[in-house]
Amino acid sequence: MEGAFGFAPLLLVFPAVGVLFNTFAGRRLVQADRKTGEMYSGWFASLMAFSAFLVAVVLLFSLRGHDFHAEVVTLFDWFNVPSANFHIPWAIQVDTLSVTMMLVVTGVGTLIHIYAIGYMHGDPGFHRFFAYLNLFLFFMLILVSGSTYLMLFVGWEGVGLCSYLLIGFWFDRQNEEGKAMNADAGRKAFVVNRVGDFAMVLAMILLFWTFKSLDFGTIFSGAVELFEAGHGVELFGMEMSVGAVLTAVTFLFLLGAAGKSAQIPFYVWLPDAMAGPTPVSALIHAATMVTAGVYLMVRSNVLLEIARESTRLGVEGANVLGLASPDWIALTGAATAVLAGLIAFTQFDIKKVLAYSTVSQLGFMVAAAGMGAYVAAMFHLITHAFFKALLFLSSGSVIHGMEHGHHHLHEHSHGHDAHHEEEKFDPQDMRTMGGLRSKMPTTFAVYMVGSLALAGIFPLAGFWSKDEILAHASANHGTVFTVVYWMLTIAAFCTAFYMGRQIKMVFFGAPRHEAAKHASESPPLMTTPLIVLAALAVLGGLLNFPFFGESAFETAEETHNFGIFLGLEHWLEHSIPTFELTTEGIVQMPHTPTWLQLSVAGISTVLALAALGASIFVVYRNRPQTADERDPLQSTPIWWFAILPFEWFYMHTVVPAFKGSARWLAEVLDGAFWHDFVHNNVVRDLFVGFAKFSATVLDANGVDGLVNGSGRFVRYVGSVVRKTQTGYARNYALGVFLGTVLLLAYFIFAN
Amino acid sequence: MPDTVSIDWYVALSIILFTIGAMGVLLRRNAIVVFMSVEMMLNSANLAFVAFSRYLGDLDGQVLTFFVITVAAAEVAVGLALIVTIFRTKQSINIDDINTMKG
Amino acid sequence: MGNPIVFFILALIAIASALGMLASRNAIYSALFLVLNFVTIAVLYLVLNAPFMAVVQVTVYAGAIMVLFLFVIMLLGAERSGSRTEGLRDWEWILAGFLGAVLIIVFLTNLVMNPSAVGDTAPFIDTSPAALGLRLFEAYVFPFELTGVLLLAAMIGVVVLGRRKKMAQLEKGGNDA
Repeated sequence: MEGAFGFAPLLLVFPAVGVLFNTFAGRRLVQADRKTGEMYSGWFASLMAFSAFLVAVVLLFSLRGHDFHAEVVTLFDWFNVPSANFHIPWAIQVDTLSVTMMLVVTGVGTLIHIYAIGYMHGDPGFHRFFAYLNLFLFFMLILVSGSTYLMLFVGWEGVGLCSYLLIGFWFDRQNEEGKAMNADAGRKAFVVNRVGDFAMVLAMILLFWTFKSLDFGTIFSGAVELFEAGHGVELFGMEMSVGAVLTAVTFLFLLGAAGKSAQIPFYVWLPDAMAGPTPVSALIHAATMVTAGVYLMVRSNVLLEIARESTRLGVEGANVLGLASPDWIALTGAATAVLAGLIAFTQFDIKKVLAYSTVSQLGFMVAAAGMGAYVAAMFHLITHAFFKALLFLSSGSVIHGMEHGHHHLHEHSHGHDAHHEEEKFDPQDMRTMGGLRSKMPTTFAVYMVGSLALAGIFPLAGFWSKDEILAHASANHGTVFTVVYWMLTIAAFCTAFYMGRQIKMVFFGAPRHEAAKHASESPPLMTTPLIVLAALAVLGGLLNFPFFGESAFETAEETHNFGIFLGLEHWLEHSIPTFELTTEGIVQMPHTPTWLQLSVAGISTVLALAALGASIFVVYRNRPQTADERDPLQSTPIWWFAILPFEWFYMHTVVPAFKGSARWLAEVLDGAFWHDFVHNNVVRDLFVGFAKFSATVLDANGVDGLVNGSGRFVRYVGSVVRKTQTGYARNYALGVFLGTVLLLAYFIFAN
Repeated sequence: MPDTVSIDWYVALSIILFTIGAMGVLLRRNAIVVFMSVEMMLNSANLAFVAFSRYLGDLDGQVLTFFVITVAAAEVAVGLALIVTIFRTKQSINIDDINTMKG
Repeated sequence: MGNPIVFFILALIAIASALGMLASRNAIYSALFLVLNFVTIAVLYLVLNAPFMAVVQVTVYAGAIMVLFLFVIMLLGAERSGSRTEGLRDWEWILAGFLGAVLIIVFLTNLVMNPSAVGDTAPFIDTSPAALGLRLFEAYVFPFELTGVLLLAAMIGVVVLGRRKKMAQLEKGGNDA
């Protein structure tokens, strides 16, 4: 094997070591000595994350030296049933796409680890937190590095588990009504994701039936082959075209991705997930885990394109309500982007605004993937990881500062009105903030960078990536593309507006609460990662720097060979083989503009600036001045739209339907097969009977008898032999004499 | 009656003296008497050595006796010192009073 | 190997004095019986053509060692420490006596069954101190040196054990604590 691909397993080993360290040693370290214990626990976890990052960098250079060819590092066989031709290895796929994800996950992850050392300082679950974080990295790396859909699914479920654990990290905290809302939020996230994961399982089963494999390479090449030859596959006893199967598969993928990446209709869990500690919101619920759905789409690009092409060719069964499943993906993403952008207007919790913003931005990515702009989706994924992690961590810094201010207030309040101070205070409520600009200058600066990047202001990272998606939407013809383009443009406008609103409410104006007056800057341990992320948010656009104007197109072709500009595009080209399909002429890729579309860029920039201006200088110019003042938007239709009971609707339609079908499966279908009966009366009773027999008869008499008996025997022998040890020297001498006589007698009579 | 004694008689005397010494070790309480009995056992062995030296015409038996006497002298010196020390702490040289090894 | 009459007289005296040592209640009598026993054996050494060993036996055993014994007995005033056999249990008596009897009977029986030829004796050899010394320093130099070390160690041990001052200090320290 060329290059340093042998290092790939280390990618998983390092986080695993971190988990073990913090599981077994962390608690003792922290309990023995709070300060040094936290240092060891936190920095060890960070070191493990950083080590994984270094491994990812090594893999990057290995790929470079390997002419960008994908390499599969097989660790061991997972399932191998030769008779059923069922073989699934546990293997790591190192290609440009997975390495990109690894770099984002471990790079941003390392920064967030370091930040969390400062943020979680003094928390009783310090070591537990870092154990979970490393566990998350472990599963996320399995997700992005797996070479089969099953391995991806293992990571998929693993990060879901970590998400559940970390949302409910403060599971014992209760709100005023005595409900453990953090634990509830975690449960909600887990349950909502069940529906999507069920779809994933169905998709995998379909894939396996069709291709007899779950390996990426095998499935993709098999799909292309079947599609080219026009062969169908035998499913459910009838002949089905590949296009139809793949349409179903990709539509199921949409459901799965909608769960994990918080798209309509499953997005409801993500805002609640903000109950977790802020570093978790940044790492899991903004930068990495929620992008797993986008990664899935990009990874399955071959399947998506074949499904789209099949619909275009009018293959029977290859459409969902007349549209190709990639179109559904694009529409879902775009609709989510708009809806979440509008809901973000109405939020007062600083983290919830960012949460809806994340949902909205994920909509952009999903829409991009659905339109076939896979590189743009990945590009936006990366830049979004930078600036959204930055925004979350900065908001954490703001919350930290507000809590600090509140504590400060408490310390200075006098004994007699201490009870009065117990009034409810929410450090995340933007209505209590204001004027933090001068109190927290570093946080303010990086927050501005993050917000402007998110709003898509030239020349920050968000501008380039968002614009690439919009350009893609406008450059292609078709109703779907046009609809998506306008929806995304509206969403971009919304983005700029709610970010302007947030900046205005948090950092400008006068403080609306005593705590805001006494807020102070966070420690350097927290601000340093923020500055690094801010730099990335500024420079992230360079990853895929487009050219200006058509004339640059030839230059692009030229530089292609050098791989300098449009770096990401050429880098990912090696993992997204649809380009190759295009040259073979079987699938037509949507047109990807490799240069900047000035009209699109102009419109979006103007809209973003207008939205920012409108929010800061018009709608929220003087308001709110006090914490109780109504939001100026509260009397407009937008507000009413945004607080429509989507969540109620979801919880009362999809969830009961899912539950009902599950129950039907469990009761009706199961009963029909006498499945439970066999289980209860044959399997269980036999097992219980045997267990009882071994517990009461075998164990009590046999095993216990043997164990206790040997003990009793030793004791008895000891009590007997003990008597020989009288302590009298003459008795010992007698023993020696006896032995002597016997020996002598032996020697004499032996002759 | 023969005009000279055979080696057997010396061996027999040696055994009898040895057994008497052993009885002294086993049956007497007084640590000093026990010690003297040990000396007696050593002596009976010496007698056998010298007798065999004569019987075989080999000087080694006498050399061995010489060593035994030397070691016995050292042993007596240490042993008596131990008895004196024990007497100081226990005010007794009855070996039954020394039974700290009782199980 | 000696005149039978001389041997039997000496043997009788040796056995009698040994039994006397065993049976004496008074440790001083025991010691004196033992001296008699040693002297008798020294005479037997003479009969056995070992004049040097006889002299050593008298000077070292009967002289030095037994004087040391007597000295310690008198120093401790322990000549009458209890009866001969008090505290002995029956089984100890019986077993010890039985074993002793077995030992004697087994050996004697063996001797009677396989008697040595009476005249089967080697010619006289040179057993002068000079010859003994030559043998000692030619063939047994290393054991001789080891014995020297052993004597030194014994001497140091005795000195250490006999230091009353140290013991007193230890006891004093013990009381303080």
